[in-house]
Amino acid sequence: MNIRVIKDFSFKLLGYFLILFIIAILVAITGSIIINGLHSITLKMLIENGDTTSGGIFNAIVGTWMLVGVGILFSVPIGIFSAIFIVEYGWKRYNSIVRVFTDVLTSTPSIVLGLFGYLFLVIQLGFGYSLLAGGITLGIMMLPYILRVTEISLTEVPTNIKEAAISLGAKKMDLIFRIMLPYAKNGIITSTILAISIGAGETAQLLYTAGWNNGIPNSLIKSQVAYLTYVVWAGINQPSNYSHQLAFASGLILIITVFSLIFISKYIKR
Amino acid sequence: MPHKLDKIFYFLTFLISIIPIFLVVMLFSFLLYYSIPSIKYNGLKFFTSYYWYPGQVYLPPVNINGILVPYGSSFGILLFLYGTLITSLIALIIAFPISIVVSLAVNLYVNEKFKKLIISLIELFAAIPSVLYGLWGIVYLEPLLSNFIEPAMNKYLGFMPFFSGNIYSGAGILASSIILCLMILPIMTSVINGSILNFSTSIKEGAIALGATRYEMARLIILRGIKIQIFGAAMLGLGRALGETMAVLMVSGSVFNIMPSNIYSPINTMAAALASLLDSAFMDSTGMNLYALSELGLTLMLITLAASLIGRFIVGLGIIRGFTRGEEI
Repeated sequence: MNIRVIKDFSFKLLGYFLILFIIAILVAITGSIIINGLHSITLKMLIENGDTTSGGIFNAIVGTWMLVGVGILFSVPIGIFSAIFIVEYGWKRYNSIVRVFTDVLTSTPSIVLGLFGYLFLVIQLGFGYSLLAGGITLGIMMLPYILRVTEISLTEVPTNIKEAAISLGAKKMDLIFRIMLPYAKNGIITSTILAISIGAGETAQLLYTAGWNNGIPNSLIKSQVAYLTYVVWAGINQPSNYSHQLAFASGLILIITVFSLIFISKYIKR
Repeated sequence: MPHKLDKIFYFLTFLISIIPIFLVVMLFSFLLYYSIPSIKYNGLKFFTSYYWYPGQVYLPPVNINGILVPYGSSFGILLFLYGTLITSLIALIIAFPISIVVSLAVNLYVNEKFKKLIISLIELFAAIPSVLYGLWGIVYLEPLLSNFIEPAMNKYLGFMPFFSGNIYSGAGILASSIILCLMILPIMTSVINGSILNFSTSIKEGAIALGATRYEMARLIILRGIKIQIFGAAMLGLGRALGETMAVLMVSGSVFNIMPSNIYSPINTMAAALASLLDSAFMDSTGMNLYALSELGLTLMLITLAASLIGRFIVGLGIIRGFTRGEEI
C-alpha cells in the first residue's frame, strides 16, 4: 500500500475516533444527569415549595418560567421592532452600528451582565432582587438572538412579493404587518423558543438580580424569585444527600426542558 | 391608512432600535462609574498583586490616602487573571485540533445523513446549561481526574515542570480547562464546518481529479483556504471560554491568594471570583469591595470583547451561518 493512502486511512480513523469520543462524552454528560435525576426525583418534589435543602422545587420551576416570561416580554417586542427598522428603514452605517452593539451584548460574560443588572436595575432603579430585575437581565441577553434571527427572516422575504404589495397600493405599515411579519413568523417563533431555552439554563445573571424565594414571588419588584439553576448550584454544594437529590432533579427538569425546546424549534424550522 | 401613522411608526421603531445601543452604553458607563474609586485607590497594583482580601468589614474602616477602605483589605486580580487566561488557553489548545479534525472528517468521509446528525449532536453540547456541566464536573470529572488521569499524567508527563508536583481534589486548572473545552467545541466546530461547506466545490473536485487523496485535499487545499476562518473560530471559542462563569466556579476549586504551582492546582477565574465575591461585597459600608469588583468586571468584559469581536469580525457577520447555542451568527 502506498504511504499516501495509509496517511489518508489513518486520518479517517482519527476522525472517526474523535467523532465517537465526543459523542460518547455528550451521552455521558446528559445520560448521567438524566439517570441521576430519574433516581432522585419524586412527585412530592414537583408539587412542594422548598429551600434547596428540604422540601421540593415547585417554587423554582414556577420562578424559572416567570423570569423567562419577563425576559421574553422584554426582548421579543424590542427585538422585532428593531429588526423591522433595520431591514425596512435603516441606512447602512446605522445598521452596522446596531450590529456591533448587539454583538457586544452577545459577547458580554453572563456574570458581567448580572453585575450590570445589580448596579442598574436592583440599586439604581430600586427594583431590589425581583422578577423584574432578573427577567430584564435575562431579556438583555436574549435580545441579540431575537433581533438577529428576526432580521435574517425579514430580509428573506422575496422582493417580488413586497413589490406586488406596494404596486397594489399597500402602505409601509400594511407591507410590514400583513406581508413581511407573517412571512417571517416561523423565524421569529423559532428564535423565541431558543431564547426561552437559553434563558431557562442561565444562572450567573440571576445570582444578584433574582435572589432566592422559598415561595412564589407576590410582586414584580422587591420580591425575590427562585429558579431551577440555583437549586443545582446550591444543592450540589451542600453536604446532605437530599440537597444533592434536589440538584439532580432540577438538572433533569432543566435538561428535558432545554432539549425539548430545541427539538420543537428544529421541527418548526422545517 | 393615513400617511401620518407611517411616520409615527417610523419614529417608534427608530426609538426602539436605539435600545440595544443604549443598553451597551449604560453597561459601560455603570461599570466605569463604579470602577473609578477602585482605579484611583488601587492603581496598577490591581493587576500586579495576587492578594485579594475583602478586609474586616465589621471593624471601622481605615483611611488610606484620604480614601476609606475596610481594615486590612487588599485588591489584586493577578491570580484571577492568570486563572482565566490559563484555563481558556488550555481549553483552546485541546479544542482547536479536535474541532478541525472533526469538521474535516465529517465533511470528507461521512455521508450526508450522518453528517447532519453528528453536527446537530455536537451543537447540542452548546445547549446544555452551564450549571449542568458544573454538576457533571463535580460528580464525575473530579473523581476521575484525581484518581486516575492526574496520577497517570504526573507519572508520564512529570518530567515537565507544569505537570509534576502535588495532586489535589481534582478541582482545578485541568478540570476547568476540560469543561471549557467541551463548552467551546460546538461553536468552533460549527464555524469551521460552515467555512468548509462554503469552500469552493470546484477547487475541491479539482484536487481530487488531480489524484490527491482526501486527506491531501484537506491538508493542502481546504486548510490553507480557510486558515483565517479557523483563526476566527478560535477567537470566538476563546471569547466564550474567558467569560464562562458557573461551570468554572463549580470545578475550579475557588482558591484565593495562593498561586497555582501546577496543572492540578486549584484556581480561580475572574468570572468565578466575581460571582463568589459579590455576595460579601455588599457588607462593605465603604463600598470599596463593590468598586474593586466592578473594575474586575470591566477588565473581564474588555478582554472577552476583544477576543469575541475579533472572532466575529473575521468570521464575517452573517456570512457563515454557524449554529451555536441556537444562535445564528
